[in-house]
Amino acid sequence: MPVYIDISRCIGCRSCEVACQRVHGGSGHINVHFVGDSASIPIFCHHCEEANCTVACFTGALHKEGERTAFDVDKCTGCGLCKLACPFGVVWTNKIAHKCDLCEGRDAPACVTTCPANALSTDFELASRRARSRAARAAAYGGRR
Amino acid sequence: MTKVLVPSVCPYCGAGCGFFIAVEKECATGIEYMPDHPVSEGALCSKGNAALEIIYHPERLTSPLKRKGEGFSRISWEEAIDLVARAFGEAVKKHGPGSIALLSSSKCSNEENYLIEKLARLLGSPNVDNCARLCHAPSVVGLNRTLGAAGMTNPIPDIANSKCIFIIGSNLAENHPVLSRWIHRAKDAGAVVIVADPRMTHTSWMADVFLQLKPGTDVALLNGMAHVIIKEGLVDRDYIAQRTRGFEALAESVKDYPPEKVAEITGVPAGDIVRAARAYAISPASSILYSMGITQHSTGTDNVQAVSNLALICGHLGKPGTGVMPLRGQNNVQGACDMGALAEFYPGYKKADDPETIKYFSSAWGVESLPLGPGLTAIQMIDAAATGEIKAMYIVGEDPANSDPCSQNVHSALNNLDFLVVQDIFMTATAQLADVVLPAAVWAEKEGSFTNTERRVQWSCKALDPPGAALSDLEIVCLIGKSLGLDFDYPDAAMVLAEINRTVPQYGGITWERLGKAGLIWPCPSNDHPGTPILHSSGFRLAEGRASIVPVPYRPAAEDVSWDYPLILTTGRVAVHHNAGSMTRRSPSLMEREPDLYVEINTADAVRLKVADGDEVTITTPRGETEAHARLTDSVKRGVVFMPFHFPGTNILTTEVTDPEARIPEFKVSACKISRRD
Repeated sequence: MPVYIDISRCIGCRSCEVACQRVHGGSGHINVHFVGDSASIPIFCHHCEEANCTVACFTGALHKEGERTAFDVDKCTGCGLCKLACPFGVVWTNKIAHKCDLCEGRDAPACVTTCPANALSTDFELASRRARSRAARAAAYGGRR
Repeated sequence: MTKVLVPSVCPYCGAGCGFFIAVEKECATGIEYMPDHPVSEGALCSKGNAALEIIYHPERLTSPLKRKGEGFSRISWEEAIDLVARAFGEAVKKHGPGSIALLSSSKCSNEENYLIEKLARLLGSPNVDNCARLCHAPSVVGLNRTLGAAGMTNPIPDIANSKCIFIIGSNLAENHPVLSRWIHRAKDAGAVVIVADPRMTHTSWMADVFLQLKPGTDVALLNGMAHVIIKEGLVDRDYIAQRTRGFEALAESVKDYPPEKVAEITGVPAGDIVRAARAYAISPASSILYSMGITQHSTGTDNVQAVSNLALICGHLGKPGTGVMPLRGQNNVQGACDMGALAEFYPGYKKADDPETIKYFSSAWGVESLPLGPGLTAIQMIDAAATGEIKAMYIVGEDPANSDPCSQNVHSALNNLDFLVVQDIFMTATAQLADVVLPAAVWAEKEGSFTNTERRVQWSCKALDPPGAALSDLEIVCLIGKSLGLDFDYPDAAMVLAEINRTVPQYGGITWERLGKAGLIWPCPSNDHPGTPILHSSGFRLAEGRASIVPVPYRPAAEDVSWDYPLILTTGRVAVHHNAGSMTRRSPSLMEREPDLYVEINTADAVRLKVADGDEVTITTPRGETEAHARLTDSVKRGVVFMPFHFPGTNILTTEVTDPEARIPEFKVSACKISRRD
């Protein structure tokens, strides 16, 4: 299950970055970007349905496994085409390709559990459910009091 | 290979998040989250995630050290303890017990703070304090006066029940990140969030109403809100009549603070002041969260009282979702205060100047006499060291040479001491000045109880052995106590906690056996008491059970801009660093994110100063000068600049002016000038 972001909740604390780095032996796959003084957004692998990186990868090291964009380290040649192909800049190469593996083997990705503001989740619908709930309350109460 | 998960409490801020330390072959190999923790629910901020990095840092102190010329040489524990005991014994004999001072640590456990407090008092010295003096001393003074208790009134998860959250002078999104999950939960349930801060911080991103006030004008803003609330009849008349005293005087005094006038003082538009006041007053349950932005002022106590006035006139206390919440900055700053490591208190906030207190503790500790307080506060100790009034000092886990204002004066004051012993995990700037340095254990290498900002007492287990010859603070204090001829025979922390249960009424029922997963929230007077998450639900522990409403006139900050110093410098924290930085600046994954000291300057000011983003600049105040990188931003207003205080340079600049009652320095307002270095 990929990770989704509720942008209105990100507080720019960079916990996800440090957590990802921690569980991946020092090299993380998530980056918090600050947009001026008014917002921060973590950027990470979307596990795209039609993933450009898997198309570019001629050895099949990057491939789809259900919803996940999986990575087979044995097949990686380190050519870097995946890095060029990714439109979000979240696949990078250092001898071999590196990208989000959704913390295989853990109950949930580290970034999701560690996020102090509950901005990250594996529930695609969560952000819109929260927004609908806020809208419903606003309608019932006649706007913000 | 067996992996053991040891439950632990995060050593950084006061939120008290829990996590497990994974231990394999007596080595900490990782962190596992704790999803059923009542405050953090498994979450950890960047500092928490990096907590293990300091344990195996190569600069850890592993042996007692003695000054030898400019450097240090390793010595044995016997020699070190003998040196310390002899120096303190001599100082007491020659100059009287008032010539020694102890600085306890809000990073140490309750048990350790209790013993350091006891050590000072049994040696006859009233001079014991901790760095709460630099963060929430005004809360202790102000809230004890108005509400009769100084802690957070409601627990952190209760913030989710609030319908209006007023955050003033706190950048909790960066400094207590897990609180934001509870604020967002309240927002999803329809709560309004008001943030008042001189900077547009990450916390302000959560705000529905953002009040960007001029540093040091908090009392004016709060009085202005009280003015609107009283004028529009939004007060809780029943609550005021039944639970408080002093409302009439407040109503009279805030007449002078109409929104238009307050707008002129604070720089906040009058309309926003009215909106914020209405939102706070009419919501069924409103809470106020505040931190250093309220306390670190020469008007700190006034600010705190103005905050509590607002809660009292609206009756927003004693119920779920309400409250006055001072957010504490260190993992055990609440506990250090509870244990009496404060100049004016004995354990359990028993007043040090009250003969009853002396009688109580003399019999509890089985001694004939104890010193009557109040003693010298942390800042006064440094002044007294400079004048020679204090001859010997014992500093545990604190770094005043970095964290006190006007830090170059601290250096010379500490050098003036006959004897300085510093007990820490790293060679801090303060330890560099010591005669003897004692190597201590970090939180994971010892056990003990820690009290977080919501008064929740939690037990943190020992996961590892300390490196080299390092010992836990508890063991070291006991060694020193014993060699000074005191009865300090405590085999472990649980034994000390048992004594705390007997002597500190609030902790009466907080026994080691009962500190399970979720801990207990004090006051918990007896073994069958469930703890008290919400304070003041049935009146106040003051005369007639009534809270005091204390009118506070607005006084400007001690320093204002002048021709020579045209900018206001305010200080604060960033997400990836903690306090004086002796831990986080040694944490590689945090340092790579915020490696240098910087100064935030408004873009328009920068144009006038001919400073571009990233330029090296010199910041000068009457105290001294510091270099930093310029960061251009619109998050501070024109005329205001901001610097984080995690790096040694910042407190060279800050003013030594203190609050007259709480003696907290005014870290938040200093006049400065900036020039580009070419």
